[in-house]
Amino acid sequence: MRSLLFCLIVSTFLGCGGPAVPSNILIYGRGDDADRLDPIHTDIGESVTVMCNIYDTLVTYDDETLELVPSLAESWSTSDDGLEWTFHLRKGVTFHDGTPLDADAVLFSLERLTVPMHPFVFDQVIPYVQSFEAIESVTAVDPLTVKVRLKRPFAAFLTTMAMFPASIVSPTAVKKYEGEFWKHPVGTGPFQFDSWNVNQQLTLLSFDDHWRGRPEIDGVIFLPVGESAVRVKQLLRGEIDIADNLPPAEIDSLAKNPHVIVQEKAGMNTGYLTMNNDKAPLDDQRIREAIWCAIDRDQLIKSAYSGHATKAVTLVPPTLWGSHTDLTDREYDPEKAKQLLAAAAADGVPTPIRLQLFVMTDPRPYMQQPRQTAIFIKDSLAKVGIETEIVTNENSQHFRRMTRGEHQLGLAGWTADMPDPDNFLYTLLDLDNINDVGGNNMSRYRNQKVHDLLAQAKVEMNQETRAELYRAAQEQIFADAPLVPLVHTSVRNVQSDAVSGYLLHPSSLNRLRLSKLAK
Amino acid sequence: MWSFLFVRMLQSLATVAVAVVLIFVAIRLLPGNPALARFGQHSVPARVTAEMAHQGWDRPILAQLIDLPGELLRGDLGVSFFHGDQVAERLTETIPATLELSIAAILLAVPLGICAGVASALWRGSWPDYAAMTFALLGVSVPVFFLGICLMTIFTSMPTSGRVAPTMISQFHTDFFLCEAIFTGRFALALDAVRHLLLPAVALATIPAAVISRITRSSMLEVLSSDYLRTAKAKGATLWRIVWRHALPNASVPIVNIAGFQVGMLLSGAVLTETVFNWPGMGRYLVTAVREQDYAVVQGGALVIAAMFVTANLLLDIAYLWLDPRIRTQS
Repeated sequence: MRSLLFCLIVSTFLGCGGPAVPSNILIYGRGDDADRLDPIHTDIGESVTVMCNIYDTLVTYDDETLELVPSLAESWSTSDDGLEWTFHLRKGVTFHDGTPLDADAVLFSLERLTVPMHPFVFDQVIPYVQSFEAIESVTAVDPLTVKVRLKRPFAAFLTTMAMFPASIVSPTAVKKYEGEFWKHPVGTGPFQFDSWNVNQQLTLLSFDDHWRGRPEIDGVIFLPVGESAVRVKQLLRGEIDIADNLPPAEIDSLAKNPHVIVQEKAGMNTGYLTMNNDKAPLDDQRIREAIWCAIDRDQLIKSAYSGHATKAVTLVPPTLWGSHTDLTDREYDPEKAKQLLAAAAADGVPTPIRLQLFVMTDPRPYMQQPRQTAIFIKDSLAKVGIETEIVTNENSQHFRRMTRGEHQLGLAGWTADMPDPDNFLYTLLDLDNINDVGGNNMSRYRNQKVHDLLAQAKVEMNQETRAELYRAAQEQIFADAPLVPLVHTSVRNVQSDAVSGYLLHPSSLNRLRLSKLAK
Repeated sequence: MWSFLFVRMLQSLATVAVAVVLIFVAIRLLPGNPALARFGQHSVPARVTAEMAHQGWDRPILAQLIDLPGELLRGDLGVSFFHGDQVAERLTETIPATLELSIAAILLAVPLGICAGVASALWRGSWPDYAAMTFALLGVSVPVFFLGICLMTIFTSMPTSGRVAPTMISQFHTDFFLCEAIFTGRFALALDAVRHLLLPAVALATIPAAVISRITRSSMLEVLSSDYLRTAKAKGATLWRIVWRHALPNASVPIVNIAGFQVGMLLSGAVLTETVFNWPGMGRYLVTAVREQDYAVVQGGALVIAAMFVTANLLLDIAYLWLDPRIRTQS
């Protein structure tokens, strides 16, 4: 009798449901928590996902494409020399704290980003400062007009105004919270900040007075759940509505579930194999070309990306203007690789070639299974006679060591900060970007012709002419083969079938304004 | 006895100081630096150098170390470079989460481990022994994250993450969720907190329970074969009395020793359990900080963990004094 009673109590206890979650709050499960919610002080994806729902920028991307459309600025114009940009602000927009949006607020926000030692910047770590260094001054012409003057013409300027660091923040809130504004963010976006229990949950509520109308859902709760297997379980049980950043195999298995929707969009990223051009024998173009020919990228996509990627020929993804889609790829050809290696050996390159391959521990969007990718490359190179030793480092150490040029081969990649070829080619392959501290040209590729083409494209205002310059640069880069472009991956997101209206964006910004819930 | 305790307290303080200094130096010897970690893939050499100088981290480690005692004596654990918040404030949020979880795990592990150990010693070589030792072997060998996911799969109606349901968190004013809910008489909230606590506590309790059960078994076997217990049996004492009155108290010193050690381990954070169950405890906070080379957080955390660990050991020493008169006499 006693054991029966015990069983009854236990089963009642285990079986009773927890308190019901209000039905119109969207629960968004992701791998990690945000760090700071001040747009100028972070470059962490988890923070950006929250901030792009709290803040607006002057211009933004169309809901579905990368086309720039008005946001807080209704219209804009530029002077003939491309040095002066005038933005006309939308009337009647207010911040979540009731402060009206005007030219002074825009001036305040942009100056926090560009003026050294600004009185309302309490932390000098501003990761994207380089992207805005072309700005010379910002002026409030009248309450609804702002003028930005550039030091030199900068073709990608308007695109940078759509980047999250250029979000417009409430001056009243920054002055009130000072160094703690990052945990009391106030913008004009569709959702307003409600509460944040670090590493537990972050809650946003819908903003009734948003200039595009109140979102249909009442709010969003972001839950940081480190284990992807747990996020899958939570999604299947209805504990979360959207599961972010799941491994490809998990997504494939979830796609078969009728109550789960998998969204897929071509992403703006490139995964590549960097080769340290400063180190022998990789300073020999034939060796680099042989490595390119030895890797069967089609097979790599099948085995390490579950087929959800496209083969890369150049660093610029084909979804982006300026990508040289007419380049004839070096196909997988182990025989040619062996011939190139033999020719190099005949000219005195010591054999057998032994290389170290640096690999990160944690997946990135462009390198979803680093270990498998590394093993695949090791096997491929072994077939043409190159011995490879895999060196695994935790992600931040991995990139730091490669930035210092300690590697010979290394897995790397890039997700665009903004949809402009400059963000791939200049950042990853220009000789300006070789340094031991933060240089992203980890291949240490130095080509004056490429540098001149990229510098010219930076200041050229005509997009057609810029595209031509980028194509010429990509042809030279392809001939030199300083790195092996491997893949452009798709961005995939998984949601329950109760969520509708949420559109995965090619920029990877997770904007939740249009989401609806049918619980 | 008092002088013994005084000496032990001094030793404990010295242990904490050594631990903090070692961590202070070790985190600075790692390749890279916090400014690089924060700028990430957008590092600008001049800005990284300027930030390191601004923070005083470009000075020799010894010069930085000299500032530390003053800061600690002022009660200033510093500000997290990565997240910008006061370390002390964040620790006061994460420690209650860790405490609730580890105390729940201890409350499960200690009785379970002792009962399993006693049963296995009493019925040595029969099925309770095999069952208890199989459980102990599984307990120490199954990885916690695997066990956590298995528990979630088996108990489908139990919540998988967090300390309470997402929409209830705003109803708490302290970080001791369960205690607060019980003491304020909000039993629906308390029930929800217990449901969230149960699976992570079970996952966390397995290793200590297994270790305690093995030690209890061997210690009990030693005691059970002694003459005075044979005498007790001959005098007709019941099994219950033999075990709980005569055998277990005498077998308890190694058990208390190992249980105390496990308590110290649990209090110092359970990273894997916290990660699997999205539990916002100290272990997760510190591991992230080590990865980010967030000096102040790592130092503050090391201080708190070392203090907890030596306090647990100090309490253990006091427990010995109470349990074993011989130690009392010697000391």
